[in-house]
This record gives sequence, C-alpha cells and structure tokens, in this order.
Amino acid sequence: MKKIKRLLYTADIDRFRFYVQIFCFGLLLYGGWLGLNLGIHLPAFACPFCSGACGTCYLFPLQHQANMSLRQMAGGRGIGLVSGLGGFILSFIFLNKSWCGFICPLGALQDWISRVRVRAGIRYGSYSKGTFRRLKKIKYLLLILLVLLPLGMSNSFFGLPRLSHDFATPFCMVCPGRTVLPLFSGDAGQAVVDFSSKTKLVLTALGMMSTGLFFVGAFVKRRFFCLFCPMSALQYLFSKAGMVRMTKDGAKCTRCGNCYRVCDMGIREIAESVDRKNIVRDDCMMCFKCVAACPEEQCLKVSFLGATLYSATEEGFFNRASREKTSGA
Amino acid sequence: MEHERIERQRKALKGRLAEEIRETLEGTEPGGEGSPKGMGYFYDVFRRWDEPAGLADGKPVIATSCMQVPLELILACDAVPLRLCNGSHALEQAGSAFLPVKACANVKATLGMISVFQERLQDRLALVVVPTTCDQKRKAIEAVAEGAFTVYPLAVPSSKDTEEAEVYWRTSVKKLALTLEKVTGKRITRKRLAAAVDHVRQASAQFRKLSRMQQHAPPLLTGKDMFLVMNAFLCDDVQRWTAAVARLNEELDDRKQRGRFAGEKAPRILLTGSPPLAPGLKVPLMLEAAGGVIVADEVCSCSRLLHDTVVSGEPRLYDLIPAIADRYLKPCTCPIFDSGEDRRRKLIESVHRLDVDGLVYQSYSGCLPYQMEQRQVAHALREADIPVLFVETDYSPEDRGQLTTRFEAFVESIRSRKRRR
Amino acid sequence: MKRFCGIDIGSSAVKVVLMDETGELVASSITPSGNQFYQSAADALTRLLEANGIPREEVSRTVSTGYGRKLFKQADESISEITANALGAKSLGTNGGIPVKTIINIGGQDSKVILLDDDGGVKDFGMNDKCAAGTGRFLEMTALNMGVTLAELGRWHGDSGKPPVTINSTCTVFAASEIVSLLADGHEKGEIIAGVHCAIARRVAHLAERTGVADRVLFDGGGALNRGLKSALEDELMREVVVPEIPQITTAMGAALYAREGF
Repeated sequence: MKKIKRLLYTADIDRFRFYVQIFCFGLLLYGGWLGLNLGIHLPAFACPFCSGACGTCYLFPLQHQANMSLRQMAGGRGIGLVSGLGGFILSFIFLNKSWCGFICPLGALQDWISRVRVRAGIRYGSYSKGTFRRLKKIKYLLLILLVLLPLGMSNSFFGLPRLSHDFATPFCMVCPGRTVLPLFSGDAGQAVVDFSSKTKLVLTALGMMSTGLFFVGAFVKRRFFCLFCPMSALQYLFSKAGMVRMTKDGAKCTRCGNCYRVCDMGIREIAESVDRKNIVRDDCMMCFKCVAACPEEQCLKVSFLGATLYSATEEGFFNRASREKTSGA
Repeated sequence: MEHERIERQRKALKGRLAEEIRETLEGTEPGGEGSPKGMGYFYDVFRRWDEPAGLADGKPVIATSCMQVPLELILACDAVPLRLCNGSHALEQAGSAFLPVKACANVKATLGMISVFQERLQDRLALVVVPTTCDQKRKAIEAVAEGAFTVYPLAVPSSKDTEEAEVYWRTSVKKLALTLEKVTGKRITRKRLAAAVDHVRQASAQFRKLSRMQQHAPPLLTGKDMFLVMNAFLCDDVQRWTAAVARLNEELDDRKQRGRFAGEKAPRILLTGSPPLAPGLKVPLMLEAAGGVIVADEVCSCSRLLHDTVVSGEPRLYDLIPAIADRYLKPCTCPIFDSGEDRRRKLIESVHRLDVDGLVYQSYSGCLPYQMEQRQVAHALREADIPVLFVETDYSPEDRGQLTTRFEAFVESIRSRKRRR
Repeated sequence: MKRFCGIDIGSSAVKVVLMDETGELVASSITPSGNQFYQSAADALTRLLEANGIPREEVSRTVSTGYGRKLFKQADESISEITANALGAKSLGTNGGIPVKTIINIGGQDSKVILLDDDGGVKDFGMNDKCAAGTGRFLEMTALNMGVTLAELGRWHGDSGKPPVTINSTCTVFAASEIVSLLADGHEKGEIIAGVHCAIARRVAHLAERTGVADRVLFDGGGALNRGLKSALEDELMREVVVPEIPQITTAMGAALYAREGF
C-alpha cells in the first residue's frame, strides 16, 4: 500500500490530466455519434450546438428553464428548475471543480493553445492583484444575467415590457463554446453574425467578439476565459459539498509561492493563506498543478471523501523536477 | 615598507586562521565514533576555507555578501561565486578598522576578508554584489568600495508580502542578471540558466536527504557536521559538493540500517538566529559539547541556503528569472522584513514535527534585526510551551565560559523537564 | 550511613555541603578559593569531613558546581550553578506556604536571576557575568576603599540618616576614584555605601525585570549577607525578598541534593 502511495505521489499529474482532457474532449464532442448520452446536467462546456454532442452543458437547460413566469414557477412547474439544479449538483459534487481542470473542452482547448504559445517562446501575461480582484467578479454578473434575462422574457420587471424571444439562451449567444466547438466537427455555421433582428445582431456580434477575444486571450494568458466563466461561478456555490477536496495545512507552508507560480488561473490565495483548510477558490479549476509543485511534505492534499488521493511530497517534488528539468509541475 | 607590513599582517593572519580552523576540527576523526567517513571531504574543504578552490581557475569571480544573491545567475554566466561572509575572529578584528565598535561581527569579518586578501582578490574579482538586506550590510557598501572594487548594490525590498515588493525584487534581479552578463562577458542563455537551476536543485535535493538524517530520532548526524557540510557549500563547486553529499547520504543510510547513531539520549535542539559561519562555529560546537544535539536549524548559513528551490511554469528566460527571484524572496525568513510571522510559523512547525526539546536563539551583538524579533518569538514559543534560551555573542573566544554555563543550564533544565513528564 | 556531598567552587569562595539520606543538612563550610581552585576545594572537603568525624567512604556521591566545577576531578558529576541553585531553593521549602518563584543570586563574580516553574524546575534565567558592577566584586572594592570589612558594609547602610549618594561611574574600577573624591568632599561613609548598594541593586533589578520576577523572591549568594544590599534590592524590586539562613550555601545544597537524587 505504501509503495502504491509513493508511486502515486511521485506521478506527473499534469501528464495524466493531458490525456484525460484529450479523452473527454473526444467523448463530449463526438460521443453522440456513438449513441452515448451523458445527460443535460453537465458541469462543463459540452456544447449542444455540436452535432456529435454527448450530453449538454447545464447552462443551456438552465437558461431555457429560467424562461418561466414566476407564477408558474411557484405553481409547480418550477419543479423542473429544481430537479435540473439537483441533477447538476449531483454531477458536480462528484468531482468538484476538477470538471474544469480535467473535463471541460473549452478548458482543454485553452491549454492546447497555451502549449503552442510556450513552444513559440511567447511570454504569458498576468494580472496585477487589483485587476484580478475586479475582473473575477464578472463571472457572477454573467451568471446573474443568464438567469435574469430569460426570466425577463416571461415576466415583466418593474413595469418594463417583457424581453423578446431573441433573448432565449443569452449566454449561449456570447459563449465562445458555441462558435468554436462545432468547428471541430466541421461546422462553421455558428460562427456568424445573425442579422435577422436587432437583438440577435447585437448578441451574435458580441458572440463573435468574445470568440476573437477567447483566442487572443488564450494566446496571451493561461486559461484566459475561465476567469469570466459563469459555469465556474455556479459550480463554486456548491463546491463546499464536493467529494473531491483540496486542502492545505498552513503550518507546513513556507510561503515559497511555487503553487501560485504554476497556477494557470493566477490564484494568489493558494500561496498566501495559511489559515484556511479548504483551499479551493471560485477560480480554481482543480488541475492540481499546485500540489505537484509544492515541496513541503503533506502541505497540499487532494482527497476523495476523506481518503487522500494525491499529496505534495518532498520526494515527489524532486523526482518530478529532475525529470522535467526547470519546471516542477 | 607598506608591502612588508601587509606581508607581515597576512602571515600573522594565516597563522591565526589556521589556529581557528584547527580548534573547530579538534577531536573529529572521520570514520570514528559519531563522525561518518564521508565527512572527511567536508573537513578538507573546511581546512582550505580561506583558499577556496574556485579562485584557482581562470574564470571571473563574483563575490557576494549575503545568500540573497541568486547563485543560479552567477553559475549561468560561467563565473565562480565567492562568499565573503565568515566567522573568523582574526578577520573580524582586521575589519573593525572600517566600522564602528558596535557594528555586526559578520560585516566586520567580511570587510576584514576583503582588506586582508585585497591584492589576491583585486585582479580576480569581477564584481562584489552586496544586497541591501540589513542596515549594516547596506552601509558597508561604501567601505567595500574604498578598496577599489566594483561594488553592485542589489536592492532588496523591506517587505515581502506585497505585490509591489514582488515586482521590485524581480526587477532588481533582472538588472543584476544584465549586469552580470556585462561584467563576465557571457550571455545568460536559457540552456545555461536551466542547467544552473538544475544543479542547484540537485544540491537542494541532497541537502534535504541529509536533513532527514540529522532530524532522525535518534540523529545520524550531529549539528556540528551539518554546519560543516553547509559551510563547505559556500566555498565549493556546486556539483562536486552535491556528489560528496550524495556519498555521505548513502553512508548515513547504511549507518541507519546498522543502528549507528550520533547523540542518542541528548536533548534535541533547534538553533536559530544570526548565522554561525566558518571557521567560527563556536555556538553549535559548545551547545553539543554541553550535552545537546542540534537536529535542525533556522539560520542562513545552513538550512536556509538550500531548503527552497526554483520552480518555473514555463522553461523560458521570461519565466525562469522571475522564478529565481521569487525563490529568494518569498520563503525567506530573515528578520530584515517587516513581518516575522513566516519565521515564527516555521519555528513552531519544526519544533512539533521534529520533536524538538528546546530552541536556542543566538544573536550577534550589534545584530538588531535578530534581537528585535526576540520578543515576538518569545511570545509565540511561550504560548506553545517550548523552552527557549536567548544568547548574545560575537566572534571573540572570551565568552566561552559564560556560554558553557548557559548551555549546560539549558540542557539540564530540558533533561529535568523531560524526566518530570 | 550514606552521605552526599555538594561542592560549589566559586571564584571567591568554596562552599561544601554534606547531606544525609533524608536530605537534612549535616555540615557545611565556606572557605576562600585562593589561586588553586582544585586544591582549595579538595582541602575544604577533607577538612570538613575530619571536623565532623565522617569517614570518606561514607560519601556515596559528590557533585560539583560553580565556576570551577570542571576542575574538581574528584566529583562524580558536575552541574551548572543555575540548576543547583534552583534545587537548593526548592529544598528550603515553602516559606509561609508560598513557594519560591524567583531566585536572585549575587555572587563574587556574577549575579543571576532564576525563574522557577510550578514544580521548582528552571523556567528561565538571566546572568550578568560580563560586568563587575552588579556583583560582589564591587562590594569588595568599596569595602577596601572605605577601609571597612566586607561584613561591616551592611551595618553602615543608611547609618548617616542622609539619602544615598548617586554613583555616576558605569565601571566598577572607575567608581573607586569617584568614591575617594566623594569622601574628600565630605560625604559620610554611610551615604556612599548606601549609594553603592543602590547602584548594585538597580543593575540586578534591571536584569530581573528583563528575565521576569514573580513572588516569592529568594535572595542568596554571598551578597545576601549584606542587609543594606537586601533593603536596597527590596526598594528597587518593590517587593519583599527572603534570605535563607546561610545564603552562600544554597547552591552547594542543590548540588548535594542532586547527588542524592537517584539513590
């Protein structure tokens, strides 16, 4: 048992994650052609606009279900919303935010773009502390909007007229997943500006801009989009109940900041906090690069229902570092 | 006339240095009881401490006066690093001509070394890098410059928790890299820097293994030997040193299997504070002679040198150099920063993890940063119910009797505490 | 009949204590150290045994302490004077129900403050062994300059009725000249002696404050014989201090107790 643990802790988790991402990308974008269906509650961007989609990103049904009059919602039709959310929560807590790090196709895509950037020798960009703090709030705004706007289609708020039908799935209209992911099955049909109505024009134009921004951003900053992702915001609300946990033993921390250095999201708290045990933040995608980069024995740990799956160890750190020469992750 | 006087001074100093070295190594026999055979290499390096091998070959020499100067950058320029910090009483007295009476003994000894070996060093030293860590090092810069050396002040921030400090230090390190390139005439390429980082990391890996031997209950290596090993790092070639430590680790592993320990029933001590430096290892030697065994330390002339390593997310210069900068700033527990929290946390964690019986906190007379942190450390240790002894000392041998009494009293009080529990 | 011997080899005096199995004091002696510590100590022990008719074989264990402890090869073991003093204080019992928490020792060449924990073990300590100004040496030098004996100093304290003179020199050796000039100025012996006592008490009190003071305070060492110094110390500490019957031997008693432990 001890030997297995040693082997596990010296493993290169990033390499493992790379292969899992490839597998999940293939599964989620092409699995539908094999007749597979993983449901409509997926906590990752498994875009239904892909013809071979094997399941649907939960934000899609959420936006549809939010398009309901409040009276109906209270009257029992709201049960759909509740069960949908329930299904989402159940899928989510199984893996906690590692859905983002290991499974999400948009995440995988950004990671591949980053690899190209590194190969090309282009330096990465990073946010200052203040900028980071301000920008991360955007995802909550987007989450609120993607629920409020459809709601505003069936309800009249503050005496304003109801929103037009064009506002159905407002987030999907601006999501880069909708335009980019179908490209992988040869479908460029989503990457267009729709002139059929003013609303559609604005929304799809925004969608094209966000697609452009997505690519440029991914080329400049690691996991650029994820800071603004409303799925991440929604997930974080339930993260405390996650079965997979990442914890930190602050007493052992030397504040060397290695974890922060390798973090694609640029989360400072992982390095700075020595009081909190649960170290998963709203931006964290649980890729565990930080755990791999920590040289202090048992300081950072990944556990599933209390059992340690992966831990920072001195031996693991130095083994990985000598294998990769110059990077510890 | 002047030349003769310098010659005479040098000869007298050489004699005194040899005496100081001999005294420290007195009674140690590699391969004997408690001293592994592999230590022979480090005793040899210690004996030649004032004539570092690095000065022999034709490479440019970069002298440094603090561990904050990133070693990796110097190695990447294919230059030889020379640490000026030392613990020689003779050199301290030579250096006291340049500084006030109450100045730090370490800085005096550094200046002493420069002034005494001026002629030998003059044509070899390409640059003297002095980080502006503590007041005394900072103000000694101009005294060093008196010797017609090219001195480079390396700007160190006085806080390490803020983003501004991080940026400030990264810029400072980058400028140092550019200066080193200019002075040595060698460009710091990605390959060379990555190799340097790798070599230092391997040294770090071996150091960590050695630490585990020292921390073992009962310890396989005495504190004195650990200090000699780490002091050798300051004046030896990195790869040669790493290989020697690897050999020592193997031998200690073998000793562990056979049950040959060093200091079995002795109270386990953690030594922290102003750094004991070769050849003046008075405090660790006397502490162990008084019956304690040093199983860990928190000083910049021993564990702090190699405990932390460089980690970079991308193997390119634009990431490696900030990564190197971060490694030297962020985990640093030197008392020159405005907050001593990291240090206190580390001390208490080490005491608990390593089953330490007591802490000895030494400070040099004149070392205000360490003395001023005593109060907070004392509070924290009292709360955690950890016995601590504070001693103030310097490089002179005059207080040996007084130190012995204090160390013995401390060791005795720990023994009786353990017996009562 | 088992006996245990504690021998405190100080810079000015050698103190020998003989204890029986129950921890009762059997005999003690205080003799000058002179130049040959080892010889003086050996002689003192021999003479004490002879004077009390105790054969050497009855001494089961000897523990040495003090400045010259390592020189006395006849001892079975040696311990630091801090540990010994703490043990000695513990044995004096709880005077009036309150155990000793602080020991202030003014010896020939140093002064010590020892803080004890609830079990009577050493919690913390502070020493002044670098400067003569807070030690018995200052008293000796003062007595010499005033033409009185060391034992008489206490009696002179406050004799004149006038307040103590402030001694301005930081260095004991320089204070000698100051004392001479004070006498020439017409100051009375009592004032000056009281001034010296206050200077010493102030220094020791500073050391005590830095180390920590807690009631009850025990004042021992040769300096405690001087009741003028005792009163000056009480003024500086603003607490009462207790002086044992023979204050010079507390440390030697502790050494004897240590010898007894484990038997």
